[in-house]
Amino acid sequence: MNLHNRISVFRAEHGISRRQLAEAVGVNSQTIGYLERGDYKPSLELALKIARHFGVAVEMLFSFDRFEPIAMTLKRAGEDE
Amino acid sequence: MKPSRRSILSRLDDTVRWTGIPARVADQMSDDPSVDYKHPPLRWGPIWPIAFSCALFILSLTWPPALDRLSPGAGIALFGGLMASIVGAVLAIHPSGPLGKPSLEDDEREAALRKDSFLFCLGLLACLNCLGQPFLMILSHLQNWQTVRSVSVAGSALILNLTLFGCLPTLYASWNLRQLPKE
Repeated sequence: MNLHNRISVFRAEHGISRRQLAEAVGVNSQTIGYLERGDYKPSLELALKIARHFGVAVEMLFSFDRFEPIAMTLKRAGEDE
Repeated sequence: MKPSRRSILSRLDDTVRWTGIPARVADQMSDDPSVDYKHPPLRWGPIWPIAFSCALFILSLTWPPALDRLSPGAGIALFGGLMASIVGAVLAIHPSGPLGKPSLEDDEREAALRKDSFLFCLGLLACLNCLGQPFLMILSHLQNWQTVRSVSVAGSALILNLTLFGCLPTLYASWNLRQLPKE
């Protein structure tokens, strides 16, 4: 089963590099790259560490279903307002 | 102390420092390393020792006189094969430490990759040896091998095994990873 993530989106939002995130969660920066590309599924410990670093629930970062594009989310938020 | 009176051990220490390895290790293990140390894939390096050891093994099977007489060329080939196996053994992925568990050197992804690489390597080596040993025994009886030839074939098979054990995990891991785009 595919595990989708949006680490790169959160990383861009927080303005941190792969290396900074890697140092914060105690892995190699290449591992963050492979995680973002979906080539590696993280352990529960690593997933929780990344979620804690961004201050969000782990479900916000990882999902078995494809994440909705940000443009769609923004559009829907605009319509709600 | 004058340089001429320094002990052999202090000279050896200087030689080790001259290589730059202690400084690199200290930097790598510090809290704030100067560069981001990566483990780059070695896609071509391990192929050469494997190819060389395979060639040596095939040579010992198909052209035994060269090894029986131990001509300079054969000696160089044997020495080269041995060196290849040693070079192979010190390549990036080595069997030290618990397999599959993160360590000082490897994080969890690298530890998992190391475990997969060794499982692949050991599985392949087991298959090759299971098939190769009966084949060599039958061949030795069919061709009435003399002791010298048996020893040369066994030696080249040992070198091939050592080289594969040293190089295959690195080769597997290197080709298993797709290159990451630069950030």
